[in-house]
Amino acid sequence: MSSPADVDTVGGPPNSPSPLQIRASNSLNSKSHRAPLTKQPADLHLLEYVHEPDSNLVCLICHAPFDRPVQLFCAHFFCKDCLEHAWRAQHDGRKTCPTCRSSVDPDKDLRPVPKIVETMLDELLVKCPNAQAGCAWVEQRVNVHDHVMLYCEATLVECAQHDCRLHISQKDFHKGCLHYTVSCEDCHTSMMKKDLEDHQRTACANRSTNCPHCDTTLLRLHLDAHIKEACANVTIPCQGSIVGCTFTAERTQTNLHEKSCPMATMAPHFRDQQARIERNEARLEPLTRKVGILEDGLSSITNMLYPANDSSTTFPVTNPLDPNISYSFPPTNLIPTPDFRLPPASFPPVPHNESHPSQPPFDSQVHHLLTLHESLRDEVNRIANALTELDGRTNMMVINESQRTKDEMLHTNAAINGMRMQLHWLMSATLQQRNSARTSAANGSAGGSNARSTAQGAGAGAGASVARPGPIGDFPNGPLRRLSDSTRQDTKL
Amino acid sequence: MFASKRLGKSCPQLQDKLPPGITLVKADDFREWLMDIQVMDENPIYKGETYRLKFIFSQSYPIEAPEVVFVRNDMRPIPIHPHIYSNGIICLDLLDRQGWSPVHNVESVCVSLQSMLTSNTKNERPPGDEAFVRSNTQRPRDINFVFHDNSV
Ligand SMILES: [Zn+2]
Ligand SMILES: [Zn+2]
Ligand SMILES: [Zn+2]
Ligand SMILES: [Zn+2]
Ligand SMILES: [Zn+2]
Ligand SMILES: [Zn+2]
Ligand SMILES: [Zn+2]
Repeated sequence: MSSPADVDTVGGPPNSPSPLQIRASNSLNSKSHRAPLTKQPADLHLLEYVHEPDSNLVCLICHAPFDRPVQLFCAHFFCKDCLEHAWRAQHDGRKTCPTCRSSVDPDKDLRPVPKIVETMLDELLVKCPNAQAGCAWVEQRVNVHDHVMLYCEATLVECAQHDCRLHISQKDFHKGCLHYTVSCEDCHTSMMKKDLEDHQRTACANRSTNCPHCDTTLLRLHLDAHIKEACANVTIPCQGSIVGCTFTAERTQTNLHEKSCPMATMAPHFRDQQARIERNEARLEPLTRKVGILEDGLSSITNMLYPANDSSTTFPVTNPLDPNISYSFPPTNLIPTPDFRLPPASFPPVPHNESHPSQPPFDSQVHHLLTLHESLRDEVNRIANALTELDGRTNMMVINESQRTKDEMLHTNAAINGMRMQLHWLMSATLQQRNSARTSAANGSAGGSNARSTAQGAGAGAGASVARPGPIGDFPNGPLRRLSDSTRQDTKL
Repeated sequence: MFASKRLGKSCPQLQDKLPPGITLVKADDFREWLMDIQVMDENPIYKGETYRLKFIFSQSYPIEAPEVVFVRNDMRPIPIHPHIYSNGIICLDLLDRQGWSPVHNVESVCVSLQSMLTSNTKNERPPGDEAFVRSNTQRPRDINFVFHDNSV
């Protein structure tokens, strides 16, 4: 109805219609011309009834008294609109009675309801649908249409200004277009002119009003405080009500009562206590959370300390600490084993959940952890001692062993020296023989072969120590190589 | 349309005259209500428990069915029943498109669920509950529709 272009004119200066226009729009002719276009007929579903309607007159779909009811073949009643609505939503296109689900042929099975029902419906007392806007009309329902369409002052109609498509209540129609912004002179709130009067009458905080209880005149913005704290005629309970006093009366009397009421005198203390308890509870909450976090941390530490399965542990120290197995520590032959096992486990090894019911109190867990720590420290000390001892023994063994080796080496050296002497002697003997063989050729060949075999035997026997047979010359290849080997070994020694 | 009007109308009435075992917990607006239901007889599966139901109303309630599921909190488990999945989705013909009728209301739905629990003797979830709960992303109304189609 109203396009943005129309709204633009709202903030502008009022274009009051000419008197002629007003008269024209008020004349019966123009009204009957305009009214069907602009007035919305009342929706009977939304009416407010003065009395709770008889449940037999209430539609089971909209839970309001029937509006243009129809009767189905199965004698169930519904508003015509409600029934059509329900059928439109039935996705399979079948039309059934919403109550008993018997199928319905809308052409044949819809019947008018008995006249008496219609009369009863017509006679229900309803409030004007514009009651919110200030109309106090209350009458039989059958008249509501006429009232809204013809007589109700609060019915919205289109603004008289021909280029303004906003709505205004019937009673303000003749004032011309009131759709421009004004500011309330008392509280400086901006609003439309048409709302100003209402605002000043019922809402403006800076307007004076009367207290509904004691008729004192005061500004509306002070009214709440007045009623809450000062108004003598307001009914309030005794202060002691938080402790159980049931006295309730007007403020003046309650004040008198409170002077003699023991519970009222106690009330401030109780309030203090209450506040303190609440403060403490508020403080407790983050602490609880913190404890939860700590417990989680603790249980993960515990999990680390108590591996889930004990058989696969490679580090024997963890075994005696495991409370789940009775396992005596294997005594390493020399070291006396101190009994560092814990007192019987007071403690489930895997407390995952902080709210676990069987969990021992936090305190004992800390204690347990400390004990655990202490025994671990003992254990480490013991291992350190054992290690030192072992170190000493190993050192001793190494020294002994090397001493023995050294002795053997000395023996070997002596033996080699002895052999070297022998060889030297043999060599010189051979040389002498050769010299003498030059002089006597007859026994030369036998002596040469003899010398050769002797030299070879010495080489094999003394192994590395056969020295400098090199210069002797004319030996075959194999022994020559052996010789070079023995030369190298010789330098090593 | 008149969803809010009708709900607004039934709300104060409801407070006073609900059948035993059914309580209105929260009805702040006309989109979502919370109800508590209890099974009133001695059925050992549900004895002593209270279950919470969440109703979600569309604009076209009561022409269209509300979405009704069980919700879980510290005090309120999801009842075990061969037609109630562990995520609270209920497989009840009353609540799917075909089974719904605009003459039903919050109270009648609660009563139906109450009797559905009362008459149950099987302490079990629907078949395929786990897989369904893991994979489901559909709205309860649509699921029920599919479910029924498949199971027919
Ligand atoms: Zn209806
Ligand atoms: Zn019927
Ligand atoms: Zn009126
Ligand atoms: Zn205007
Ligand atoms: Zn003002
Ligand atoms: Zn007063
Ligand atoms: Zn008192």
